[in-house]
Amino acid sequence: MQNKNSNSMISLENVSKIYPPNIKALDRVSLHIKAGEFVSLVGQSGTGKTTLVRCLIGEERPSEGKIKIGDWDITKIGKREIPYLRRQVAVIFQDFKLLPKKTLYENVAFALEVAGKSSAKIKSIVPQVMKLVGLGAKMHRYPSEVSGGEQQRAAIARALVYQPKILLADEPTGNLDSINAQEIIDLLKKINEFGTTVVLVTHNREIVNRLKRRVITLHDGRVISDQAIGKYIL
Amino acid sequence: MFIALLRAIKFSLQDIARNVWLSIVTVIILILAFFSINLLLSVQVISDAAIDTVRDKIDVSMYMKAEAQESEILALRAQISALNNVREVIYVSKQQALEDFQTQHKNDPDILEALRELDSNPLSASLVIRPQDVNHYDSLIADLNRISSPIIESRNFEDHKLMLEKINTITERVNQAGFAVSLLFIFITLLVLYNTIRVAIYTHRSEIGIMRLVGASDWFIRAPFIVSSIIYTLIGIILTAGLFYLFLNLLQPYLETFFMNYDFNIINYFSENFLQFFSLQFLGGVLINIIASLVAVRKYSNV
Repeated sequence: MQNKNSNSMISLENVSKIYPPNIKALDRVSLHIKAGEFVSLVGQSGTGKTTLVRCLIGEERPSEGKIKIGDWDITKIGKREIPYLRRQVAVIFQDFKLLPKKTLYENVAFALEVAGKSSAKIKSIVPQVMKLVGLGAKMHRYPSEVSGGEQQRAAIARALVYQPKILLADEPTGNLDSINAQEIIDLLKKINEFGTTVVLVTHNREIVNRLKRRVITLHDGRVISDQAIGKYIL
Repeated sequence: MFIALLRAIKFSLQDIARNVWLSIVTVIILILAFFSINLLLSVQVISDAAIDTVRDKIDVSMYMKAEAQESEILALRAQISALNNVREVIYVSKQQALEDFQTQHKNDPDILEALRELDSNPLSASLVIRPQDVNHYDSLIADLNRISSPIIESRNFEDHKLMLEKINTITERVNQAGFAVSLLFIFITLLVLYNTIRVAIYTHRSEIGIMRLVGASDWFIRAPFIVSSIIYTLIGIILTAGLFYLFLNLLQPYLETFFMNYDFNIINYFSENFLQFFSLQFLGGVLINIIASLVAVRKYSNV
């Protein structure tokens, strides 16, 4: 098991999440992820992975325990602070969650517009990020006009424009074929190399085993394994 | 703040254009709602005008003795004209009364024949008194009854009083029913407006969730919807005004026939009150749309 480190980017202390009447989605989870790490969070369906992600982005509050992002205690984060948290902890999902009536460029620009960035800055940043994820030529298309892999790239671009400290990827390859899936994982590795902490939530055995990075395994809401260079053990 | 407002307007215009069918349907429902309100308003205006027309025709007549001299009648007319609540007093001479009678019975040869057999004019001169305000009819009758003049032959006002009471009762009931129907109608319209905006926002529920996800604040999510609802209401009210004037133009000739000899023009009425009517409807529409936007966005932004 990994030990607590004072340089934790993500820190969970005895975090439990109990849904009524008495369903324990997370059961006294404690884990610490350092800045710049690439961690896979694995486990079967219904094991608490998504609940953990929701707690990390402030969509859920833990019933017990403490969550910190860097030095920021987000355990009881207020509704008004959530937009600021989302700019530090970006998230991508299996279903991409792109705005269907905006082009890929506009989807990415939207994330900066809500943060109040100037139009000039948006015009300089967005094309760069789109190029980085390999969408330079297709950025003015609507989500329905590109493939699933390209939609996920756009979602990653949108997550990156804030230059977040953490990128949570919740089953990002779930809707993709193996080639597209590997391209997305390669892109996540590239982002990690630039210094962003990446937490990959998945139950794709092949991807986890090929990564050869830290693997945290959840089962019934509890951490049952945490290996520095791990494998999918379930 | 200024940039955020400009962006809210940009997103709103983008959304209206890219969801053009939803926008068209929303505006059509708003037009139907506003048109219904204006229709109800015009029914109210027409019924008020019809009641006024009937009231305007209420008068009382005072009949003079056959031997009364015209100078005496005119003196009496002046005396009555000086009374409070008298709008006008019309002197109908014996000759005028005869001519009116003949015109009235021109299709009845028996009556005209009987009239010819009489050597002299059997009709009396009279004074037709029109009240300033029919609501003070009782005091006018009392004043008229107090006038003592030897040339007055008869002054029976009771029939008129009964008729007036009936008209007043009908007017009161029409107004009460109109008020109740108006309230009901306004309530239904408000519900329709409220629901239209909620449905429009319902179709954006997943997008609202995504906006929240990428860090949009409450204000940033709500503002474009509020701007859109203001734009929808503005377009709705402008188109309603245009269509309604078209409708009034078609209606006016029928009203002219109905209100013959009475100065009533519904187009003028709406033109004179244009700003008051349509700005109030616009403000009401905007207010209800903003409330609907706030409620709906709040509901769908909890992702």
